Amino acid sequence: MKNIIKGIMYGHREKYWWLTIVVPLVSILSALVVGAVFIWSTGRSPVTAYKLMFGASGLFPGPYWKTHFAEMLLASSMYISTGLAFAIAAKGGLFSIGAEGQFLVGAIVAAYFGYAKPFANLPTVVHLTVIFVMVIIAGGLWGAIAGWLKVKKGIHEVITTIMLNWIATYLIADWLVTGPMKANVATGVSGTPYITKTAKLPIILSGTRLNISIIIIIVVTYLTWFLLYRTTVGFEIRAMGYTLIYNMEAPKAAGVNADIRVVQTMFISGAVAAIGGSFIILGILFQYPPVFEGGYGFDGIAVALIGQNEPLGVFLAGMLIGGLRTGATAVQLAHIPKTFPSIIEGLIVAFIALQELVRYLIVKLVESGKKKPADKNNLTKATNGGTANE
Amino acid sequence: MNNGMNLLNLSLAQTFDFAAPILFAALGGVMSENAGVVNIALEGIMRFAAFFGVWGAFVSKSPWVGLLWGIGIGIVLGAMHAYITVKWAGDQIVSGVAINVMAMGIITYLLEFVFKTTGYSPPAPYFGSNNMRIHLTFLKKIPVLGAFSNLTILVWLALITTIVVHFVLYYTVLGLRIRSVGENPHAAETLGVNVFKIKWFAVIWGSIFAAIGGMALSLGTLSSFTNSMAMGKGFIGLAAMIFGKWTPFGAFWASLLFASAQVVQLLLQSSASGIAKQIPLGFYLALPYLLTIGALIGVVGRAIPPAADGLPYKKEG
Repeated sequence: MKNIIKGIMYGHREKYWWLTIVVPLVSILSALVVGAVFIWSTGRSPVTAYKLMFGASGLFPGPYWKTHFAEMLLASSMYISTGLAFAIAAKGGLFSIGAEGQFLVGAIVAAYFGYAKPFANLPTVVHLTVIFVMVIIAGGLWGAIAGWLKVKKGIHEVITTIMLNWIATYLIADWLVTGPMKANVATGVSGTPYITKTAKLPIILSGTRLNISIIIIIVVTYLTWFLLYRTTVGFEIRAMGYTLIYNMEAPKAAGVNADIRVVQTMFISGAVAAIGGSFIILGILFQYPPVFEGGYGFDGIAVALIGQNEPLGVFLAGMLIGGLRTGATAVQLAHIPKTFPSIIEGLIVAFIALQELVRYLIVKLVESGKKKPADKNNLTKATNGGTANE
Repeated sequence: MNNGMNLLNLSLAQTFDFAAPILFAALGGVMSENAGVVNIALEGIMRFAAFFGVWGAFVSKSPWVGLLWGIGIGIVLGAMHAYITVKWAGDQIVSGVAINVMAMGIITYLLEFVFKTTGYSPPAPYFGSNNMRIHLTFLKKIPVLGAFSNLTILVWLALITTIVVHFVLYYTVLGLRIRSVGENPHAAETLGVNVFKIKWFAVIWGSIFAAIGGMALSLGTLSSFTNSMAMGKGFIGLAAMIFGKWTPFGAFWASLLFASAQVVQLLLQSSASGIAKQIPLGFYLALPYLLTIGALIGVVGRAIPPAADGLPYKKEG
């Protein structure tokens, strides 16, 4: 059993390999404690707040669980997509904050092919296939721009992805949605026209809004894992990530075409984020609205960090954040703003950043429990193992 | 003629107004990254400080107290970033993301808690009011220089800070130490430089600059806090820093470029006629960012960060 778990935790073969699982858990618990202190210090009841938040989060059974559970999975599928997008790039040593823009590109492309005439009357399976192919191409290309500029012009991907986010935001909101893609004024719809029936994602749990987006994202998560750990391309991507600080010399010497891999990584990352963008159109909004509440891309960074950039971890972290966001509206009953979950989210990430300290303390605890004389060398080695973060 | 000159001066003054927050953020980045600590929390720190500045000014009826409150929260956040990244060698990006995400939640929470409002705070005394501005009336009629006749104190502070940071980084022992820590901390340590102390110093000063930048938004151009702050200005500051190749003067020109693109967009939008009028708003809004990428492709070659930028430093042995 131990060996199986060890096998799953790829690449963590050091002595305290289980810390990779324990650290996020400790971080989540610590964040909840600090969050409680914060609520308490502003004169409100943390118990009520947490009860309301987790009660409506869909993570635990309770009243109206079916609805909450469905909503949680709906939200999670989008956080997982942007989380995976960040994680894939991070594995290749790229710091992409472009998921926000790629998400929007995916959304607008999904909206267009959802209502555009020549496709509108295709059967659902064909229609959705067309939409997803287009979304993947568009999102992937939008992401690949940053990779291409890095390779050809040496522009840091952070700067290009920031710029591309804003360009996508403005061109979509203040040109496409109010211009060429505007709905006919006579219909009284603001934003783009609604997508046709055949473009809507099929519901899989009757009585709720839950659709096949969660199944799609499970497949995407699996494919991401497969790509990273079972293919040559994935191996080379990870090799680049590990040796980034040495200018990727080792993989280059081993014959990796780093230039092509960088562009490919950014393409895949962009495509995955864009798939998330299509979910919100095809499963929740059914049109691109005039005012789009974004933020999924930036939350994706937090999701990836909590999940330690591992596909399975990102999936679980996405469910957690999706759950917290679903429960967010309920905390308003305790007179707490619905952005409260983002405080928890930020605190979790802060503790993840402090993982050196968390690791140090846990290892110290374990060592003292064994009643061994504290082997200082061993201690530093164990804590050092933790810094090999991407 | 006179009219054109006025427009020039006004547009320039407006450019400085828009540039100040970006410039402060960029200088914060320059300070911190030259010591080898990446700080993508600039955006979050600006948001915190923009709110605390207004809170302080609102409570005390003086923008100066607000400025102190904002700087105070900047020091706290800088210390937090330094504690995580310098003391415990934590991942600098992760720590930065944490501060940004928390800024989103905590400030919205506090806005509701302190002012009982959502979306924006009530107006507070600010540096942009007529009696707080620095009037240099004798410059008013001169082209270009006229832009300096009616600026806020925060804009002047931004200009002065640029020169001071340049001087400190390149003409003092301290600056040499900061840069050596960013380039090669091990070598610096060998020469007796206290790497950790230098990093703490640089990160906290960087956060203070970013904090003032946040207040340039809420107490400089506006007199209240709006919940959309810092409106991506921290990230643009980061871009300006990279665009300016990690130097104070480079950051200065980059901030001016970004701000002027914004002003040009406003001018074009208001005075456009003929074909220009047919161009949708989205293109004007996206213009600064397109220009940046264009400029990066054409003008700047490879932007080279300090060699040890972003790497956690640990003492050996």
